[in-house]
Amino acid sequence: MMDSVTWKIGGEAGFGIMSSGIMLSRAFARMGYHTFATNEYPSLIRGGHNVITVRIAKDKFESMNRDIHVLVALNKQTIEVHKNELNEGAVVVFDPKDGEYKPEDFPKPVKLLPIPLRDLVAKGMGDPIMRNTVALGVTVALLGAPFEALSSVISDQFKKKGEEVVKHNVDIAKLGYDQVKEDSMFLAKTAKKEDQLVINASEAIGVGAARAGLKFAAIYPMTPINSLITFLADHAKSLNLVYKQPEDEIAGINMAIGASVGGVRSMVATSGGGFALMVEGLAWGGMIEAPLVIDLGMRVGPSTGMPTYTEQGELQFVIHAGHGEFPRIVLAPADVEEAYQLTVDAFNLADRYQVPVFLLTDKYLNESTWCAPKSVFAGDVVIDRGKLVKEQDLPADGSFKRYDLSGPDGVSPRSVPGMKNGFHYANSYEHDEVGHTTEAADKRIAMAAKRLKKFEAIKKDMMVPQVYGDAEAEITFITWGSTRGPVLDAMKLLNKKSRLIHYSWIYPFPAEETMKLLSPATRLIDVEQNATGQLAALIREHTGILIKEKILKYDGRPFFPEEIVEKL
Amino acid sequence: MTVTTDTFKTNFLPTWCPGCGDFGIWMSLKNALAELNIGTDDGVVVYGVGCHGNMYDWMKIYGVAALHGRTLPVAQGLKFANHKLPVMVISGDGDGLGEGGNHFMHAAKRNPDIAVFIHDNQVYGLTTGQASPTAQQGFKTKSTPEGVADEPINPLSLALTAGATFVARGFAGDTPGLTAIMKAAIEHKGFAVVDILQPCVTFDKVHTYAWYRQRLYKIEAEYKPDNKLKAIEKAMEWGDKIPVGVLYKEERPTSEDREAALAGEPLKDLPLTIANLDELLHEFI
Repeated sequence: MMDSVTWKIGGEAGFGIMSSGIMLSRAFARMGYHTFATNEYPSLIRGGHNVITVRIAKDKFESMNRDIHVLVALNKQTIEVHKNELNEGAVVVFDPKDGEYKPEDFPKPVKLLPIPLRDLVAKGMGDPIMRNTVALGVTVALLGAPFEALSSVISDQFKKKGEEVVKHNVDIAKLGYDQVKEDSMFLAKTAKKEDQLVINASEAIGVGAARAGLKFAAIYPMTPINSLITFLADHAKSLNLVYKQPEDEIAGINMAIGASVGGVRSMVATSGGGFALMVEGLAWGGMIEAPLVIDLGMRVGPSTGMPTYTEQGELQFVIHAGHGEFPRIVLAPADVEEAYQLTVDAFNLADRYQVPVFLLTDKYLNESTWCAPKSVFAGDVVIDRGKLVKEQDLPADGSFKRYDLSGPDGVSPRSVPGMKNGFHYANSYEHDEVGHTTEAADKRIAMAAKRLKKFEAIKKDMMVPQVYGDAEAEITFITWGSTRGPVLDAMKLLNKKSRLIHYSWIYPFPAEETMKLLSPATRLIDVEQNATGQLAALIREHTGILIKEKILKYDGRPFFPEEIVEKL
Repeated sequence: MTVTTDTFKTNFLPTWCPGCGDFGIWMSLKNALAELNIGTDDGVVVYGVGCHGNMYDWMKIYGVAALHGRTLPVAQGLKFANHKLPVMVISGDGDGLGEGGNHFMHAAKRNPDIAVFIHDNQVYGLTTGQASPTAQQGFKTKSTPEGVADEPINPLSLALTAGATFVARGFAGDTPGLTAIMKAAIEHKGFAVVDILQPCVTFDKVHTYAWYRQRLYKIEAEYKPDNKLKAIEKAMEWGDKIPVGVLYKEERPTSEDREAALAGEPLKDLPLTIANLDELLHEFI
């Protein structure tokens, strides 16, 4: 009986590796288990080695663990590449046609479970690609779950393709299910408490954006944010929005700012390289004070880097991007629940302060399939459009000033083109209160100061860092964004008192709170998925506190809690 | 209130050189807008960066002074936000065809309902006289002392092959003729491109008003602007005789027509709360 099982399937790209992991997650999430799936694949479409790992547990957990309990090998390479990751007693499912394996071929004692995957598919009159379906049947049986848990997911997955396809897939999965005579990895039973969503961060951001009233998105395809495009394009009609694929990211951000000036909530999404192209437009948005949400899914850089691997390399980039000085907000969700909630917050903040707001995500967040209660995503949200004026409230004498300087927080009322009496210019040049160009020293100072005044106002809205663990801790971890999960799980494994100070609301940087939280701590350890410790640098810049100890990872693979413990 | 050319008056006076072709384009735009009864609050003009782009300060209509080269994406975003609002673009040859060349091609293929006016004077005036993408071969400028080596871009044949649905050439020295063309471009439902030949009186001593007047001719009354191949042929005419007028016009669904969300009220007026969103969550269970 096990409380948590980690399952891995590997094979060539194009063999349905990813979808089988998501279907397995779904089957168990529906039964009330907590699930999490991470993928690893090279940047190509056919061939290469694709892997998806699914962790299924009775209770909630925060990250993927390292040791594998079940390995399903759809080819020989999977065993070669992953045999060192197997836990003692792990089950290895393989097709004897890929080779004869003996227990001594593995570093730790394992249980070999040869299943004639190819023969079973042939028996079920299926295409060789359907080996993953047989493997799913085998897995569900191994874990001691009823076949219906899988068949219901299969029928939902294929229902668009018709009854016949559903039945064929269910039959083939059953052939696999029936192969297992004893359930050696029997998962501890759990009860279903409420509906859970099996969703990635791109999709969670899509739901959050739609909830917040997104009306326009211009997104050029780029890993790892492509499933946001799929979500928006698939649902554009029912969500009453326009998704447009621009010719490049430069066009993307300029279209989105154009739509924002036109009065709608708009966003872009990209990765580091695409954002590099947007930087010019970002500064323009900063100058004309256009609300905009930018989802930046980080991946390994510089340059094209390792496009399908994860990193937190762009924190300092987004804080400093753009020529000239203007305010911005940086939020970094730690999981899908925050990805949803911070997206709603991002749209409200963008409108309230008329600034660009970043959602700093990464490949690990965007392409991992998480599990979260449906209630988190359900129900209407508060929508605050800030100082967007109504046409009837505009003064008829033509005295409206779009860039009015009198507001204490630097935020001015905003009209949109087409409103009677709301005339103004959204001007790339330095401008006066109506938007006319100016190069006068006093006017320049007044307008620049007005924009920068927003920094102070925004600070009042910033959420303080999250604190977890023991106040009397020996160790204080510091994280931002998606590294929170692995550290929280590492803290459970540690045999000493520890604490975590985590930043999801990063910029404007909460310096005062940080001083209060960090100063009394004894041993500070910065944990980041990059090579230079970008949050540690930010903390040093704003508080003077030097964090000497760092656990940094930049091989493109997400942190495992076990490796954090080992590095202490 | 009736819209007249005075409607657009501001407290700013033009900073263009005396005799600049920009004056004629500015006057023609005001005439066209007045004739169409589009006033200060009834439309939006997106301006690029260059001498042309400085126009907004003396043009009282909602204006967006974009970045150099980025007018078209901004204009498309504005049009998506409010597809009932007339959107016009004042662009330059360097601005729209150099820095913004990629945007130009892609805007043409999408066919948004936007009228684009290219101030085409073969030079970068605001940076004091370097060659622009439309500069003729051999033309000596500050950046091409030996004469321009490359082929010039032909904005009209480019617009035609990329998919623009209204393509015309105008001349800054003929205000009545240009007014009529600009008016037709604004009225056209789709991506309308008007390349406006314009002398730069300061940095181009070759392509003067006289130079153009010797060569320009009005497209024949019997010419029908409904044939793309013939239009391309017309667009390629350059040298001793240069045609002015509407070369091509076609009705095709615009990029806004293809969006389900734009079937009724503008996006900006649609409700922010989506009624069926909870239902949609079921696909993730």
